[in-house]
Amino acid sequence: MRKATHIIRSLRVALLYAALTLAALIVLFPFIWMLVTAFKQPGTEFSPEILPSTPTLENFKRVFTEFGFIRYFFNSTVVAVSAGFLATLFASLAAYAFAFKSFVLKEKMFGLIIASMMVPGLMYVVPQFAIVNKLGWMNTFRAMIVPHLANVFGLFLLRQFMTTIPKSLIDAAKIDGANDFQIYGRIVVPLSLPIIATLFLLTFQFHWSNFLWQLIVTNKENLYTVPVGLAMFKQQHEELYTLKMAASAVSIVPISLIFIFAQRYFIEGITRGALKE
Amino acid sequence: MRYLLIAVLILMAGCAKERQEGVITLKVWETYNAEERPVFLSLVKEFEKQHPGIKIEAVNIPFDGLEPKILTALATNTAPDIGRVDVAFLPKLAIRGALHALDTLGIERIKPQLRPVALRSCLIDGKTYGVPDQVNGLCLFYNKQLFAEAGLDPDRPPATWDEFVEYGKRLTSKEKGIFGFGMKNSLWWTLPFIYSFGGDILTPDGSECALSSDEAIAGFQFKVDLYMKYGIEGGAWRSGGIRDDMGFQSRVYAMIFNGPWAVKGLERSGIDFGVGLIPSGPKGYATNVGGNNLVVFSTSRYPREACEFLIFIASKESQVKWANTLGQVPVNMLADDLIDFGKHPYLKTFMEQMKYAKPRPPIASYPEIENEVNPEMQAALDGKKSVSEAMESACKKVNAILAEEEALKASLSK
Repeated sequence: MRKATHIIRSLRVALLYAALTLAALIVLFPFIWMLVTAFKQPGTEFSPEILPSTPTLENFKRVFTEFGFIRYFFNSTVVAVSAGFLATLFASLAAYAFAFKSFVLKEKMFGLIIASMMVPGLMYVVPQFAIVNKLGWMNTFRAMIVPHLANVFGLFLLRQFMTTIPKSLIDAAKIDGANDFQIYGRIVVPLSLPIIATLFLLTFQFHWSNFLWQLIVTNKENLYTVPVGLAMFKQQHEELYTLKMAASAVSIVPISLIFIFAQRYFIEGITRGALKE
Repeated sequence: MRYLLIAVLILMAGCAKERQEGVITLKVWETYNAEERPVFLSLVKEFEKQHPGIKIEAVNIPFDGLEPKILTALATNTAPDIGRVDVAFLPKLAIRGALHALDTLGIERIKPQLRPVALRSCLIDGKTYGVPDQVNGLCLFYNKQLFAEAGLDPDRPPATWDEFVEYGKRLTSKEKGIFGFGMKNSLWWTLPFIYSFGGDILTPDGSECALSSDEAIAGFQFKVDLYMKYGIEGGAWRSGGIRDDMGFQSRVYAMIFNGPWAVKGLERSGIDFGVGLIPSGPKGYATNVGGNNLVVFSTSRYPREACEFLIFIASKESQVKWANTLGQVPVNMLADDLIDFGKHPYLKTFMEQMKYAKPRPPIASYPEIENEVNPEMQAALDGKKSVSEAMESACKKVNAILAEEEALKASLSK
């Protein structure tokens, strides 16, 4: 009897693993194709062979020497890191206010801000562009970074998380004489670090892969970011797949690194759950 | 005396400053590909040498990003002086007043030299809104190796549609997974069929859809038959099917339509291929026209100088260099005799094919027409509708689009 359940259980596990492996393969397939294509000779990207018969590093070399991707990576890093950091900082400050402070029309204002999430982002493009242009910010990093610093979704995410922090903790700090900045810096931020790290990752990723905005506010090739550079490989009639995949393969490295780094915080976040009321 | 000296000095200083200011900068947004760009930049250098007062600042824009970028720039008056736009995008810009008409700016000098099928795409309501810088049309690409394996002469592509079907049947081998032909489903890619059977998109006066005429239906029916009746087409147009150009590279399709732009990539892939004219139908040879035009935006402060640059790019000298370096059809017919066909063996066929090319009607809503017609054609290819049903209902939608465009034009001209 016990043996039978044991067999059923291991069968179940085997089946589960098979299904998960299949799903993982499906998810990974585009990545595998990207990596393999990046090492193929140009012109053989659709040849039936799965692994390139004569692998080459030529694509990577050309991406960085002929197509200016060193500069694009630098630009993207500046934009994504500073925008990610600032947007997260502002969102956390605002979330602190909405979570712990009381002021006139607080709930109504919060609702209004959240309601603005319903407006499709594309609607803002032309007006934002007009403002940036009037400010004389065209072809600057400011133009790429500043307009996206107010992150409503981030505010919502952080506030919801912060409201789960025990009120008694904040009160205790107040009794000890801590001011708002001390409470924010010493208690709220450390406790919210997992969610803050998540928000940073999300905003970083948004800016790292943002195409349209970075395209329209730059009229100089040395200010192009990685997505704009990647789009250059799709020409009117022809797509330079091997080069595009080589550049794409490199472009996911920073995101992967940040994810691996931020993952520590996700796990930490679970253990911190012990603190909650 | 002293005052005179000072006056002279001031004047000289003024002149020096004047000359400095006399150098104007023309901004250009272009979409040349990695091979074309260096040739374009060398032409820019040559132009700047000939015109010391003009500097050209060229920015390379990703092709897919050009339209949103131009539209945003137009909405905020930040468009450049010159843009390179697809032939199908030009009318949309022109009827909204975004482009400078070039007729009084010296364009007449070069107009008679330009290839008429290319120039046609710049003419809207009798005015010239651009200068073609690239013109091309579809030809028949075929795999010589597969021809030889099927016992066909690898130097003799099919000349008529009947021959095409016959070749296709011999090339198609279900066991080997080879099909005679692979095709796309879109109006532009169907035009060679429609034209060679005597059909057209619109009636000659451009007022109504002509896709439901007997000729157009016959042309499209033939295309559908290639898949359904003769079974020589491999379903490249289906979503999830092997795309025509990819299948050509992986030896699944022995013949496809393609244009001059595909030559470089195919040469790199090591396929032994040939290029021939698209087979002739009841109304002879035919193909479509695509390409790009250089335009001057109406916000430019230097339209005359900008037009001068456009004329330079389309000049005989520039076009000889362009064609001989890149193997593309020159837009200037004076360049035709100076082409090095030894270096570009396929160019002769491309240029021959352009003799039978027919431009699309220069209407602003051409992309919208494609959006309506393509699903109808897809339904016919899928067998969900008969060809005539599909074309009838496509025409209804096209006529509605044309009416909308007329109304828009009327309201814009007010």
